[in-house]
Amino acid sequence: MSRILWRSSLRHLLRHPWQIGLSILGIALGVAVVISIDLANQSAQRAFELSTETIAGRATHQITGGSAGVPEELYVQLRVEAGVRPIAPIVEGDVAAPAYPGRAFHILGVDPFAEGPFRSYLTGLEADDGGLVLLLTHPNTALLSSETAAQLGLRAGDSIEIRVGTARRSLLLAGLLHPADEISRRALESLIITDIATAQELFDTPGRLSRIDLIIPEGSAGDALLEQVRALLPAGVELERAAARSQAIEQMTRAFSLNLMALSLLALIVGIFLIYNTMTFSVIQRRTLIGTLRALGVTRREIFTLVLSEALIIGLIGTGAGLLLGIMLGRGMVRLVTQTINDLYFVLSLQELTIAPLVLLKGLLLGLGATLVAALVPAFEATSTPPRAVLTRSTIESRLRWLVPRAALGGVLLALAATVMLLVPSKSLWLGFGALWALLFGFALLTPAATVLLMRLLRPVMGRLFGVLGRMSARGVVVALSRTAIAIAALMIAVSVTVGVGIMIGSFRQTVVRWLDSSLQADVYVSPPSLVSSRSDAPLDPALVQRLSTAPGVKSASTYRGIIVNSPYGPTQLIALELDNPRRDAECDAAACHTSAFTFKEGEPQEIWPAFFEAGAAIISEPYAYRHNLHAGSRIRLGTDRGEREFSVAGVFYDYGSDQGVVMISRQTYEQLWDDRAISSLVIYAEEGVDVDALVESLRVLAGPEHDVLIRSNKALREASLEVFDRTFAITAVLRLLATLVAFVGVLSALMALQLERARELGVLRANGLTPRQVWGLVTSQTGLMGLVAGLLSIPVGIVMALVLIYIINKRSFGWTLQMELSPGILLQALLLALLAAILAGIYPAIKMARTSPALALREE
Amino acid sequence: MFRFILITLIALLTVAVAYAIGRPAGEQQVQATISAVESLGAGDPEGFARAFEPRPFSFPADHGPHPEFRSEWWYYTGNLETTDGRHFGYQLTIFRSALSAEPALRGSNWATNQVYMAHFALSDVATGRFSSFERISRGAQGLAGAQAEPFRVWIEDWSVEGAGPAALPMRIRADAGEVAIDLVLESDKPLVLQGDRGLSRKGPEPGNASYYYSLTRMPTTGSIRSDEDTLQVSGLSWMDREWSTSALGEDLLGWDWFALQLVDGREVMYYQLRRRDGQIDPFSSGVLVGANGTPRPLSHADVQLEVLAFWQSPHSHTRYPARWRLRIPAENLDLVITPYLADQELHVSVRYWEGAVGISNADSAAPAGSGYVELVGYDDQPSADQ
Repeated sequence: MSRILWRSSLRHLLRHPWQIGLSILGIALGVAVVISIDLANQSAQRAFELSTETIAGRATHQITGGSAGVPEELYVQLRVEAGVRPIAPIVEGDVAAPAYPGRAFHILGVDPFAEGPFRSYLTGLEADDGGLVLLLTHPNTALLSSETAAQLGLRAGDSIEIRVGTARRSLLLAGLLHPADEISRRALESLIITDIATAQELFDTPGRLSRIDLIIPEGSAGDALLEQVRALLPAGVELERAAARSQAIEQMTRAFSLNLMALSLLALIVGIFLIYNTMTFSVIQRRTLIGTLRALGVTRREIFTLVLSEALIIGLIGTGAGLLLGIMLGRGMVRLVTQTINDLYFVLSLQELTIAPLVLLKGLLLGLGATLVAALVPAFEATSTPPRAVLTRSTIESRLRWLVPRAALGGVLLALAATVMLLVPSKSLWLGFGALWALLFGFALLTPAATVLLMRLLRPVMGRLFGVLGRMSARGVVVALSRTAIAIAALMIAVSVTVGVGIMIGSFRQTVVRWLDSSLQADVYVSPPSLVSSRSDAPLDPALVQRLSTAPGVKSASTYRGIIVNSPYGPTQLIALELDNPRRDAECDAAACHTSAFTFKEGEPQEIWPAFFEAGAAIISEPYAYRHNLHAGSRIRLGTDRGEREFSVAGVFYDYGSDQGVVMISRQTYEQLWDDRAISSLVIYAEEGVDVDALVESLRVLAGPEHDVLIRSNKALREASLEVFDRTFAITAVLRLLATLVAFVGVLSALMALQLERARELGVLRANGLTPRQVWGLVTSQTGLMGLVAGLLSIPVGIVMALVLIYIINKRSFGWTLQMELSPGILLQALLLALLAAILAGIYPAIKMARTSPALALREE
Repeated sequence: MFRFILITLIALLTVAVAYAIGRPAGEQQVQATISAVESLGAGDPEGFARAFEPRPFSFPADHGPHPEFRSEWWYYTGNLETTDGRHFGYQLTIFRSALSAEPALRGSNWATNQVYMAHFALSDVATGRFSSFERISRGAQGLAGAQAEPFRVWIEDWSVEGAGPAALPMRIRADAGEVAIDLVLESDKPLVLQGDRGLSRKGPEPGNASYYYSLTRMPTTGSIRSDEDTLQVSGLSWMDREWSTSALGEDLLGWDWFALQLVDGREVMYYQLRRRDGQIDPFSSGVLVGANGTPRPLSHADVQLEVLAFWQSPHSHTRYPARWRLRIPAENLDLVITPYLADQELHVSVRYWEGAVGISNADSAAPAGSGYVELVGYDDQPSADQ
């Protein structure tokens, strides 16, 4: 291609720095959002994989147990009598380190003599002055990686304070592990390694192991060995593939990551509109030039290449900047993602962002791909029209007016297709998101038609309000539809995303608030500090439970016990509920009070409770039912300490505490089938007339300083729960904000370009006597009109999007039923956002036009 | 016999390394390196019992463990043959090592300050195959341990058991998959107390000594499994029992230990301590047990030992002496000692050579018996080609 062509292209780009700069910014923001979320997700996943790899080591199989783990005699029996090797015992658990807020540690208690074949990092031991001897022979001794110790400012011989359940302990660092490579370093980041005896003492589980690790070869010899091992397992103890366990855990966060990913793609979609807008615009601006070039003999192919190359350069710069921005943004995102995972799923300690080259490559391809796709239509547009037609401006507008109804038809068809996709009874999240995007594009295609319609309606109003100029600005929007329509569509999409996500979060929160109001009916809640907010399985000291539940001012106390049990559906959270009501009184006996805390989706309370308390039936939470296709009347199987048992499901209750769902049985049933007698949390009803805050204080005094227990009033627990909720949605809110930002930039660039391009037209008006003030009014009222249209259109689109998010995406991701809540605030916000962006976009061109002398503006370029 | 605490303690730490080395490369593995291997070796003897002077021995109690001493071993070696003359050598050693003088009061059954390690080796002379195995375990949960009454010392399912005050007969069982032994040992001679009434001094410093006794002629019958064959065998075994606290002197490099069972009914035990300066330590000593069971102590001056040949290990490239001439002029003994197999180097966490040897008269070349030789501390002298 000739250099002249390139130079003309460069000239054009340089002459419109605002336009180009803003679209680069738009692409950069879009790519950055996607990249940052992807990086954060990947980092979290990598951290999880590493921690499970670290902990599982080379084990192919694991033996796990019921409520209290695996009896240690089983290990000795397997190793010595059955001669199963390699085999290693593990006692492990998560602990908090109160001195280092935000850091949790995993204690891995191992028998160093059995460890060799499983976890080689134990070899990296700097054991000065007999550190390993200390580790083996002294209680409360541990190993940390040298990196972690340095981060915490600790050295060998120092102590680290930890909290195990409700107890505070101090561990002496017997030595430091020196990781040999990056992987080992990451793997050891949040591990505290102790001797198995120390771990048993810390977790107070004498005689029990968390699990037994095995390396079993593939093939028939391995299968025979598996059979041999299985035959020796007592009831309630299971042998499973090591990978199965971590997969089941990893599965928990899949929907969460996918949701973030999809939401981040929304930002990119807005970005795509932006680049489409810019490229279309730059082609339209140069129609005369392109027509001239074509007439002079430049081929279509050359024009096509030129337009695409321009887009590519913009895309490249934008994507490059986006990658850098994404990495910076990712550092913040990873904290939010980790926080949510810790609140909802499991303990994940993540100190830094893993910058995966693959993610960056994906971002690069996505950014460039999006740019090229967006530029294809304008490039095609620039070459498909005959040179002569290109030279006349009006053809494109008339062609567009021909296009409007067809685009609208396409939009309707796309929306219909999306509706069909949504109606397909499936649990596929991708189908849901696919439908969501189809809907958005459909609505975008409908926008030109809707704009024409709205302008027709608005024109008389504008005329009445602002006279000729008002009518002019309304008509201007339609006359320049080729440019305004896309800008309006981009703005509409962006604003509707913020509306949709906003309504979804609001509805979710409102639903949770209502659920908390109905389910938190007791006065005081006692629980151990939990590492994962959505569940508490650390036990409370039995003496403490006794002391608190018989304290003065306590009318009655109910207990909860939460454990994770094996089931055919994978690890399942089981809660044993005991309603203790020694002093029933007529007004509201605790059972009635307490059972009314449950709202059932399926089943009748009058039938459920007798079955639950007397017939050993289970009740399950809504997400559990949804995930596993269960209903009232279904039967579920759970691994008990007496082997696998079947339970009938008496009812399905609403619960927003855990997206994995829970199974609840009565304490009586639990004690029949499980040996565990511990209590995880206590729910206390106060005597009539007792001040709850005073009661909380007196219970705290009663608990004493040696127990780190949370004793909270109803109100405090409610607030804490909502705090967790808000924290888990922080990342969604950030995404919403970012999408809004991209939209804002998009609108700014589109409308500014549009107005700047009208310099000549405005020059004519100025020459005909329009005052600068009037020019100002004309420009801002026109951009304002476009903002208004976008804002108005975004409201129904946003609501539809919210509907899809709430009833399809959320349901499929988490299994929750949410009540849609339309807050006028969010709708008003959307309208304001659109108007503000539009009016802001008008300011600079208006000032420029008003300042330029009409003669200058009129001069041909 | 002279096995130092160093062995057990280093082994404790290095065992994990050995595993890491044996793993295929390329596999992504979480790994780190040892920065201070010897940290355990130079333990403080503070708090442990020491061997300062001779003590009365009492049985069966002394067959059992002496946890107040830092280390202890039960050492069995023997030369066995099938009826058609297929020759085997075996070694089963169980080491006990105390990590601290006093066990801490703990709430877990896993807690212990006692660690056990075992080495099991079988030399199949006919096939030329030498196999060695190692186990390490804490002395808790019944995984490993030792007791006097009834006598039993074990690490998982490798064990030695005996009955009665003399703990005789003893039954030795060890199964390492590809090879296994199941043997019954009687004794033809009374216990031999080594050194000064059982106090065996290893250096000039008081307390640098062990309590040491042996059963030098133990008629043995039983079965050996090598590959797929299970064979009935008989022959002679040798048991060494030793416990102590203090470690080897700084100036010692290693030792050569000989346990020879002669066809004329006599046995010779002799160890020589090699110093870093290339000299033989004057504390090198031994015993000659007469056919009637009467022991005669041997000092360094009584024994002349000459190396006739060397062998270089293809695995470690360590160069070991491989043939000796041993003379005890006062007893009119002049013997040539030749390993049944050249390669009897143990591939366990500590590398050493321990193997079955044949004995012949230097003059007539007539067979004079069989025995076991242990060579330790040669890896510090890498050969020229390394």
